[in-house]
Amino acid sequence: MNYNQPLELTGLLSHLDIFFRNNLPPFWASLVESILVLITILAAYAVIALILIYAERKITAFFQARLGPNRLGKYGSIQSIADMIKILIKEIIHINRVDRFLFYAAPFFVICSSVMAFGAIPFGKGLQAVDFNMGIVYLLTVSSLGVIGVLLAGWSSNNKYSMIGAMRSGAQFISYELSAAFALMTVVVMTGTMQLSEIVENQRYAWNIFNGHLPAIVAFVIYLISGHAETNRAPFDLPEAEGELTAGYHTEYSGMQFGFYYLAEYLNMFIIAAVATTVFLGGWMPFQLKGMDTFNQIMWYIPSYVWFIGKTAMLVFISLWVRWSFPRLRIDLLLNLEWKYLLPINLVNIIAMVVTVLAGWTLTGLFPNIFGITP
Amino acid sequence: MAEQIIFFILAVAIALFSVLAVTSKRIIRSAIYLLFVLVATAGLFLMLHYHFLFAVQVTVYAGGIMVLFIMAIFLTHRPGEIVDRRTNRKVKSSMLLSFGGLIVCGYIIVQNVTRTYSYVKEYEMKMQDIGYAMLGTGKYQFLLPFEAISLLLLACIIGAIMIARKEKSVESTDNKDLDK
Amino acid sequence: MQSFTKYISGIFTALKSLLKGMGVTWKEFWTKKVTMEYPENRQTLVISDRWRAELIMPHDENNEHACTACGICMMNCPNGTIRVISVSIETEKGKKKKILDKHIWDYGSCTYCNLCVITCPSDAIVFNNDFEGAVFDRNKLVHQLNKPGSKLRDKKK
Repeated sequence: MNYNQPLELTGLLSHLDIFFRNNLPPFWASLVESILVLITILAAYAVIALILIYAERKITAFFQARLGPNRLGKYGSIQSIADMIKILIKEIIHINRVDRFLFYAAPFFVICSSVMAFGAIPFGKGLQAVDFNMGIVYLLTVSSLGVIGVLLAGWSSNNKYSMIGAMRSGAQFISYELSAAFALMTVVVMTGTMQLSEIVENQRYAWNIFNGHLPAIVAFVIYLISGHAETNRAPFDLPEAEGELTAGYHTEYSGMQFGFYYLAEYLNMFIIAAVATTVFLGGWMPFQLKGMDTFNQIMWYIPSYVWFIGKTAMLVFISLWVRWSFPRLRIDLLLNLEWKYLLPINLVNIIAMVVTVLAGWTLTGLFPNIFGITP
Repeated sequence: MAEQIIFFILAVAIALFSVLAVTSKRIIRSAIYLLFVLVATAGLFLMLHYHFLFAVQVTVYAGGIMVLFIMAIFLTHRPGEIVDRRTNRKVKSSMLLSFGGLIVCGYIIVQNVTRTYSYVKEYEMKMQDIGYAMLGTGKYQFLLPFEAISLLLLACIIGAIMIARKEKSVESTDNKDLDK
Repeated sequence: MQSFTKYISGIFTALKSLLKGMGVTWKEFWTKKVTMEYPENRQTLVISDRWRAELIMPHDENNEHACTACGICMMNCPNGTIRVISVSIETEKGKKKKILDKHIWDYGSCTYCNLCVITCPSDAIVFNNDFEGAVFDRNKLVHQLNKPGSKLRDKKK
């Protein structure tokens, strides 16, 4: 079952590893490797943010029957690089009577939590920086830190709009974090593991969303909804509702301080899509059918990171589609949706999943010859 | 060596922010310093390969309790004001209390330091083992306390709902408005 | 029990209406884009005739215009954009007559209110729709509307 995988990066990475280990003492080798991984992750973070900003502007424009950025470069493709340069050289405005320390510390909470979650995502075969045994819990954990940055930003700005935005964000985040966690736990019930690499490996012949059919699809939808709510994306963008709160919690920020919020918002959208991809849609695993070696070989010629990016891009597109379809929710309706609909459905769904797994009604349980991992 | 350096960074952070948390004159800053202490403690768990404990520490304390703390502080009267209501008596009594706490904690640590060390494992704890330990009935398994705590939390939730509930008549008119 | 069925059916009707909304935006995604890419589409660009861009004084093939230099446009202009400079000459019959020397209009301070065109008794000036009026020098915004050597069109008898 070893397929030819010409474009994978695993070979290159192990060569690098061997090179460092042969030429440096162990401590320095691991230090150099850690730093390289760190730089790669940060660079990928920035690059993905730029691509996402461009994609969002373009897709948004298409939904509104416009063309979007189309002047700078072919189809406006280097527009976001120009925007990045602009935001980097902008002045950071100092505001009177703010709590200095908290005001400047707040963006770092948001960006740190986002980068930490980003680092744990399996981007492809062998392209995962850390593979914790409790991977899913880790993702939920670090993403829960971001809301503190939002709360502090709102409070320390000394501005009532920021404050209202922050309070809304707090209520929203605490509520929807529950649903997101429960939706992921539904899948953990089915896979029996929280390690992201194992979850991906288990989806070789049947993605989790197909494997768990009805309960898994419900969990997937709930995860997408609550993921959007957690990251303050429209239609759940009450904390930064332009119409009522100017810009919500980041009203008073300027320059790169604002840039951090902006980056984190886009990357959180990506992270939500990436986690949903990994957990529900098979992660970087190419689409494979058991017993059809030629087909599988063709699928493996497409490298795993392309599969991952493709699936994630599809989910990001759905996120934007939702954003431009629905109006913003009112705060009481938002909390109603979580506490009266998503959470009860989720609890029933998790029991349904337990029953499905115990009764062997998953696809791997029903048709082990077609979907089972072991031959 | 790397572990040593990281440990000292974390230890200094914990000590420094603990002191800052109690000496800061703004209540919101105290909360943030406390948050730093909790996160640094989580870092210690991460160093010991207790990943689950790390996750729980960060989720429950940083993501849950501190967010509620901060929101509660927001709701208080003028949260950003510099308060300095330290009297001589308060300083003396709190010093006495903290000294007592230090003695108790120190005694426990000194007595148990060898025993604690034997719990520290070199490998990563598996989530499955933790799950079995939580929901088993044998020795070193915790189904009973787990259920007792969930009962307690359920009681808390019901109590909170009872407190937050509106009067029946008011509620019905409100709902009518919303349904429209 | 009834409220429970209402709750369940509410979920499905909500899902249905959400999907319907997404269907509408999906169709919108593929519609023809309305953006006009300006410098490229100069050839095919259609600007409405009603668009007021630049004040002009139409001249016929004999280089004659209809302005009698009465100055009504100048008096009606709300912010003094128009200056009508006239000179007195003597005709062959020995009559004194005021004719137009320079009709000066400042593009920079015009509000395109159209009052000058409306009030002109001899319909000598009109707005055209040539909107590309940007120049690099402010002095170039001051236009002289009557062409050099032009004269008043004789009234038809």
